[in-house]
Amino acid sequence: MSRNFENATDTPCSVFFPWRIVDDCGGAFTMGAIGGGIFQAVKGFRNAPSGMSHRMRGSLTAIKTRAPQLGGSFAVWGGLFSMIDCSLVKVRGKEDPWNSITSGAMTGAILAARNGPVAMVGSAAMGGILLGLIEGVGILLTRFASSQFPTGPQFAEEPAPAPMSGPSFGDYRQYQ
Amino acid sequence: MPVAVGPYGQTQPSCFDRVKMGFMMGFAVGMAAGAMFGTFSCLRIGMRGRELMGGVGKTMMQSGGTFGTFMAIGMGIRC
Repeated sequence: MSRNFENATDTPCSVFFPWRIVDDCGGAFTMGAIGGGIFQAVKGFRNAPSGMSHRMRGSLTAIKTRAPQLGGSFAVWGGLFSMIDCSLVKVRGKEDPWNSITSGAMTGAILAARNGPVAMVGSAAMGGILLGLIEGVGILLTRFASSQFPTGPQFAEEPAPAPMSGPSFGDYRQYQ
Repeated sequence: MPVAVGPYGQTQPSCFDRVKMGFMMGFAVGMAAGAMFGTFSCLRIGMRGRELMGGVGKTMMQSGGTFGTFMAIGMGIRC
C-alpha cells in the first residue's frame, strides 16, 4: 500500500525493480502533500483569529508550512517501505502479505531508531498492525469483488500489466 | 495516466469507483486501527465504562475519516 497506505502490489518488484521504489516514494509524497493540505487548511482556518482574511491567511500559512513536511514524512515511509518490501521479495523469492507486514514493521523500527529500543518496538508494532489491517482488508475486498464479478479471475493470469494501469485489487488473488 | 482503458474491458472500475473503494477501504482500516489504538490510549488516560465507549468510538471515527481521506487521495492520484 502505500505506498504506505495502499496496497503494495500495484507494480511488481521483480520486473520493474528500482522504479517501484521511486514510484512509491513520489506517490506517497503526493498523497501526504494533498491530504496534509486538506487537513491543514481546515486546521489553520479554525485556529486563526476571527475575520475572514485572517482565517484565509492562517489556512494558507498552515498549508505552506505543514503540508510539505507531511508529504516528506510520507515519502520517507513509502520509500523505505518499498525498498524493504522489494528486498524481501528478492530474498524470500515469493510475494505474500507477510512481506508487506514485515516491511511495515521494519520501516517503523528503522524510522524510530533514534528514539531508543522501546520506541522502536512500539513503532514496529504499530507499522506491522497497520499493514496487517490493510492487507487483511485488501484480501477481504478482493473476495467480495470476485464474488460480485464472476468473470473476475482473469485478472490473475495477466502477466504483469503496464505499471500503474493494473487493477488495484485482483493482484491479491495470487496469494490465496 | 490511463483512466478506464486497460486489458480488462468492462470490468475495469472507473476512477470515481476506485476513489470510493479507496475511501471505504481506508475507512475500514482506520476504524479497526482506531479501535485498537484508541482502546489503549483511552485506558491509559483512565477512562472506564461508558466514557471509554465514547472515547473509543470518537477515536475510531476520527482515524477512519483520516485514513479514508488519505486512501482516497492515494487511489485518486493513480488513475
